[in-house]
Amino acid sequence: MSAVEGGPASGGLPPNKVIAIGVIGGLAGIYLTMLNQTFNTTIFSVMGGIGSIFAVVWGADAVRRVCSYGLGTGVPSIGMVALGMGIVAAIFGLILPETGILQIPAILGPVISFIVAALIGLVIGLLSNKILNMNIPIMEKSMIEIAGAGCLVMMGLSASIAGSFAFNDAILPSVVSTGYIALVFIGGAMTILHPFNANLGPDESQYRTLYVAVEKAAIIMVIAGFASLTAIDAVSAALTMLVGLLIFLVYFNKFMKSVHREAYKVVGTGLLPSAEELE
Amino acid sequence: MIDPITGLGIVALMGALATIAGAAEDLESDVGSQSNPNSQVQLAAQMDFPHRIFNKAISGEPPAYGLWCATGATVASVLLAQNMSVIFAIAIGSLAGAILLGLFSVTAHMGRTASQKRFKQPIYMDMVIGHVPSIIAHGFIAVFCIISFSYIMDHVLSHPFPLPLLAFLWGITAGAIGSSTGDVHYGAEREFQNQPFGCGLNAAYSGNIVRKAESGLRNGIDNVWACAKFGGPVTGLALGFTVFFDNWRSTVFSGVNAVIAGLIIVLILILANRLVEVQGRKAYGPFKDEDGGAETA
Repeated sequence: MSAVEGGPASGGLPPNKVIAIGVIGGLAGIYLTMLNQTFNTTIFSVMGGIGSIFAVVWGADAVRRVCSYGLGTGVPSIGMVALGMGIVAAIFGLILPETGILQIPAILGPVISFIVAALIGLVIGLLSNKILNMNIPIMEKSMIEIAGAGCLVMMGLSASIAGSFAFNDAILPSVVSTGYIALVFIGGAMTILHPFNANLGPDESQYRTLYVAVEKAAIIMVIAGFASLTAIDAVSAALTMLVGLLIFLVYFNKFMKSVHREAYKVVGTGLLPSAEELE
Repeated sequence: MIDPITGLGIVALMGALATIAGAAEDLESDVGSQSNPNSQVQLAAQMDFPHRIFNKAISGEPPAYGLWCATGATVASVLLAQNMSVIFAIAIGSLAGAILLGLFSVTAHMGRTASQKRFKQPIYMDMVIGHVPSIIAHGFIAVFCIISFSYIMDHVLSHPFPLPLLAFLWGITAGAIGSSTGDVHYGAEREFQNQPFGCGLNAAYSGNIVRKAESGLRNGIDNVWACAKFGGPVTGLALGFTVFFDNWRSTVFSGVNAVIAGLIIVLILILANRLVEVQGRKAYGPFKDEDGGAETA
């Protein structure tokens, strides 16, 4: 791990592009589930799952950038922090317009959640750098990003299970009361933390890490689709599962190809490299 | 309300399931070197010790087991809602959780090894094909037992939480106990079997793990064979006791009495731990090397 310590991550897609993909893709996916109400169907629940994949890519890239500063064993922890912040913000933002305390249209729920997540992220980032003295230059920015991504993943997966992001009418009965929120929470956290953890090392590459992010987010989307069988009709649930499975197969293949291309060598079996080979 | 005798029987059954779950959970993590011992497997290649040991860096065991159990319980709940029989629903759910574990293992091992290109660590495909089924099999037993006792807790003991949430929490508990109890046996003893017992890990030996077996090159299957003799069963016992005592106190007592009983159990455990530690220190003392005299930290 020594070779990856203490420097900014490099290569591939620039951070701002990934942020744009994550925010726009994530929010668009969540809002497109509203087509369900417009057309009185549940077939568009699949969009929530696709939105969550975009958000996971962003989250995994943010984890990659902050963890390149030698966080090592802190990688899993940071993924848990992401969804911890995200889930609080998501529930707060979605429930706020429905309580009637403030006169806000319900359609703004996901945006409020996203902003609240960013604020919580900022506070945690400031605490880590100023009070715990972690002194990671991009800590505040990364925590904002990770919290925002975590919040979008949580809303996207919940909307794909429930068919809508309305809290009291859809998410509370079909995601929270059934306990599927446990899957949404830990599935979201693992898809954000696992890609960089799985590729950690001096020869890590951004593309390979993000392939894992897409592929793992897709497999969680398949399980969310299966869970949605109890909330929405079977055809819509099957569509979510099928789309997730296709994305998984495509990106798992891409990951395997990049491993075969980038590894020192891939052999069927064999002895350890000889002393001369290691010179 | 169930009568006390039946209640105790159910609690004992849950304890037995948890014991099997804990043992299988720890052995599964030993096949792939997850959690704490993984750092030495990762370091080995970087210190010029290429090896044939599976590098399963999915994440820490607690969140990982949280995910497998939450997935399994979610699938099982959906199937139960469609009126499937309980055993089948839990078995199919656990299979889904175990396959997910297999998929995460593949990306973790291959991704990490590919990221060690400059240290010339090859990827051996026979290891992937040989280890992943063993990981899935151990994972299936662990997830099945955890979801089973969560189901008993939910449906028989009427716990207010839904099944996926209970399985998620017990998955995290199982992972945490496996990571703190069983890892010591694998990480400190099996990985460094070539060092004198009790010498501690000198920084100079970092990454110098045992890479050769009784015959041929050592792999994860050899490690699980060794750990099944002590580390796995001890982890099982720890999780089994946790589940048994926790449910025993709330079955036998109620209200504030149950809380007091819990506190007394914790107090007895702390005292017992202290006694074992003091006895161990008295019996073995600080480590002395073979030339005699020199103490190491």
